[in-house]
Order: sequence, then structure tokens, then C-alpha cells
Amino acid sequence: MNTYPIGVLFSRSGGYSRPAEQGYFGALAAVADINADETYPFQLEAHHADPKGNADRYAELCRDLIRQTGAQHIVGCTTSWSRKEVIPVVEKLDALLWYPCVYEGFEVSENLVYIAACANQQLVPLLDYIVPRFGGRGFLTGANYIWGWETNRIARDVLTRSGGSVLGERYVPIGDDDIDHLIEEIREKRPDFILNNLIGNSSYAFLAAYQALGKEDPAFLPENCPVVSCNLCENETTRLGTIAEGQYTVSSYFRALASEENDRFAARMKAENPEQVADAFFVQAYAAVVMIADAIRRTGSDEAQRVLEAVREHETTTPLGSLRVDPATNHVNLHAHIGRTRADGDFEIVHHCPKAIAPDPFLTATPLDRLYGGTAADARQLRVVR
Amino acid sequence: MSPALAHTPNFVGWRALILHRPHQNVDALTAQCARIGIAAEQAWPTLENRDAMRDFNVLLIDADMGHDEQFPWAPGLAPMPMIALIGSEAPGRIAWTIGQGADAQLLKPIGSAGLYSALVVASQGFLRRTAQTEEIARLKDQLAQRQLVAEATAILMLKHNCDAGTAYNHLRKTAMAERRSIEKAAAGIIANLDTDGRTNVTNGR
Repeated sequence: MNTYPIGVLFSRSGGYSRPAEQGYFGALAAVADINADETYPFQLEAHHADPKGNADRYAELCRDLIRQTGAQHIVGCTTSWSRKEVIPVVEKLDALLWYPCVYEGFEVSENLVYIAACANQQLVPLLDYIVPRFGGRGFLTGANYIWGWETNRIARDVLTRSGGSVLGERYVPIGDDDIDHLIEEIREKRPDFILNNLIGNSSYAFLAAYQALGKEDPAFLPENCPVVSCNLCENETTRLGTIAEGQYTVSSYFRALASEENDRFAARMKAENPEQVADAFFVQAYAAVVMIADAIRRTGSDEAQRVLEAVREHETTTPLGSLRVDPATNHVNLHAHIGRTRADGDFEIVHHCPKAIAPDPFLTATPLDRLYGGTAADARQLRVVR
Repeated sequence: MSPALAHTPNFVGWRALILHRPHQNVDALTAQCARIGIAAEQAWPTLENRDAMRDFNVLLIDADMGHDEQFPWAPGLAPMPMIALIGSEAPGRIAWTIGQGADAQLLKPIGSAGLYSALVVASQGFLRRTAQTEEIARLKDQLAQRQLVAEATAILMLKHNCDAGTAYNHLRKTAMAERRSIEKAAAGIIANLDTDGRTNVTNGR
């Protein structure tokens, strides 16, 4: 029986290890499932390399994975910073990087498959949900690199074109948890909502401090001024006590999504490892491996370009739904569900996205003047101190 | 960030002309264009006349094999943003693209990235260049008309028997009252004096 190597390139330590480890566990779970499934006439062999959260390690480790194990497919990278480091390597060696994390867009590489939402599949639908309900005066926060900068720039563009405004914009270095100045500024500016593009420890420190602020001043309770995120998921919220309770996240996947298929998937994941929480970062990496395996089964080869052609031509059944890679952008259609964190860290689905959204990484087909009309100002009038 | 870039750039509906022989670099560019919402066409070895070029929003030129005779305009006078496609980074070829007025560069081989940045840079550069050219023309025109202002000031000094400062102030107020530039008001005062002169002569007969 043939064995095909799969490179797994995720950090298991460092400033954003929780979402990164989700990618690691998701990829390994899928490899185990494929290997246990007799309908696949081959085995996958996962080779993991750990850059430990250091962006400068990714390119070198990716090159080693491809050259030393012969892997044609690398599932990996969590931050956009590390992904940008890896692109020249996979392009030069003609391998495929399967990137399974929400990101800001403005990129299409021929050697990447994006199993990940770009801005029109996460930020824009999130604002569409939040602004009419809470108002259009946003305060933007972010990790100090391309993800935070660009996501906030798009948010500013949408808000200022749609009758809203930006009351402040602040950045925190990756992993830094010194956020008191941020809380002070929010207390002073009194926005309608806070867009949280912080990652890892910075995000947790911010949520804790913001919850404390809400206890002092009810204007900052989540029902009055919520923290909304594109990348805060169950593996984090369920381990954070109640600090994220009531806050919102947009995601292609929630563990709480009601469907027979998801119930089965979530139950099985929980049975295998009760400590392990499978969130969007896990499921996207899992889906990437399933797509690779499905394409190898169809083509009888793990050659990168043949696999890419196969996933462009055929739908693959994954826990994210049936996925086919758009040949023009190498992205996939994804849902933008919106969840509100419960006290136990799981999400209550407050908006169930009825139809998967086509990817628009360069925002060419997505109007950024969102026609909220008077709703941004009206929403504020309606909700003044409950 | 410049105010023009606060908005997400949008190139949807643009048309690009790639002045390059058929090549896989052209195919890669055409694919990149399509993702960004741009319809690309290829032409080689020369461009059509200037009128036919009006429909294109951006021109991509070949630094390796390009030459001045390809264009229906003089070097530096392209009526649209230009991006140079550079293979050999030889100083002479780069100088040629600068002479043509290329606002941005893309290095060959063309992969799956780079066009978007080049488009943003080139279109901003073109807008800035066009605005500067217009501003410079306006300033040159003003400079050329300095003599009119001096002459009109002298006329007003004689007419009202006042100093230069008072006469210039008078000229400025006249321009404001007539809602036109000082240069135009000055030209008016000089023309009036000529007319007055002729009238006086006729009356004298």
C-alpha cells in the first residue's frame, strides 16, 4: 500500500499556540481518520515541524519538510505573517500549502489552497450583523501585524462609507498582554462596539480587563457595547472562564451548529479526547487533509498540480460542508455564522448563514458601502442604557 | 496614508493592455487581472492609434524588448498609468521605462502576485503626476502674466496718483469684485486704457 507524506507546520508554543495547536490536532485527526478508512487505498504519514511561534522559522522548516520527507502538501501556518514567509518556498519547490485560518485577503498564490475565510466571508458579514443592532461607532483593536492592520483598515473603510465612524484604533504586539491603555481609551471614547483583531494572550488579557470595565460601568456590558471578533473560537473561549461571555464571533464553523453531520463529528471528537475542543481552526485543517486525501484517491497521485486540479473539479464532503476550490482564487465558499459566547464558552448561534459565501479576496465584488441607512444612528438611540 | 488610499482600491471594470509578445508571463498577468476584476488584452509589437487607446485604463509595457516607436505618443506623455515588466535589470532598460513614464514595475517571471500592488502604485502615481502637470501649467501661466500685473499697477499708480502698494491693492479688489484672477483683471485694465486712448483721440478730432 502506498504511503504519502503530509507536512504539518504549526506552532505548539508561542504567542498564539491555542489556535495553532487546533490546526495541528485537526490535521492529525484527519490523517488518523483517513488511515482508518478502508475506502482510501493508501496511508498518509504526517510529519510535523514546530516553528514555536517564530515567524522566521517557517520558511526553513517548510523547505525541510518538502525536501526531506518528499511531502507535496503542507497543511500549516496560522498567522498571515508566517504564511507570507512560506509562499516563496512552496512556489519555488512547486508544492501546495493548505492554509486553514481566517485571514485578511488580498492574496492569491497558485501554490496555496485557502481553506479559510477572507474579509468578505467574515468581517463584512460580522459588521452587517453588529452595526444595525449596536450602532456604527467602532473602536478597532488588533495585533501589530498584517492581520490586524488590514482587517481594521477594511472595517474603517466599511464603517466610514456606511454612516458609521471609527473612534479609535490601537495595536498590541503579538503575545503582549499590557492592554490597560486600551481599556482607558475605550472608557473615554465610549464606542458602540469593539472590533477585536488581537490574537492569543493579548486577546485574553483584553477580554478580562474589558469584563472588569463592564462591571464598573454598565455601558461596557456586552449587551450595550460588545467585543466582536473574527478569530476567537471555542478552544479559547471554553478555557477562559466567563470573560468572553456575551461577546460575538463570526466563523465558518461552530461546534454548536445544529446538523446531523456536525453532531456526529463533534460527538466523535469529544469521545476521542474529552479535553480536546474542535473549533474552526481544527475543522479547517481537518477539511484540508480530507480534500488532499480525496484528490489523491481520485488521481492516484499526490503530485501537487494534479491534486489542485482535482479539488478544483470535484466537490469534497468535509465537516465544513461540501467544498470545491474556486479555480480563479484557490479559495472555497464558506458560511459566515455568527455566535454569541455563552457562560461555558460554547457559542449560541445568533445568525445562521443560510448559504455559503463565494470568496472575494480582492474585495472586487463586495460593495463596501453597506447601506445600513439610518440604522447605525438609530440603533444607538434605541439601546441607550438598558 | 494618503486620503486617496483610505478607500479600498477597486479596479473592477478596468481594461488593461499588455504590450508584450505572447508568452506565459502574459497568461499569468491576464489571470491576475481577471481576479482583480480587470479585462486584459495583449498587443505586440505596436499600439494602435491614440484614439483606440482611450478605452484602456492601464498599460503594461515590456522593458526587455520595448522601444519608443511602439507608442503613439512621445516618451513620458502616456495618457494612462503604466507598469513596466522587467526581465533583465540592466540600467539602460530601467532608464528606458522611466523615460516612458512607467509608474510601477513588475519583475519577470510573473508569478501569482505583484500586479495588485503595481496597480495601486501606478494609478496613484499617475493621478499625482497628472495633477502636478496641471498645477505646473497653471503656475507657468501665472508667471507669464506677471508683466500684465506690473503694467496694470503702473497704470493705476498714474491714474490715481498713488504708490505701488495702494495701486496693487486696488487691482486686487477689482479682481475680487469681478470674481476673476488678478492676471485677468490686470489684462482688463490694460485693454481699457487702450480703448480709452483711442476714444480720446477720436473725440479730439
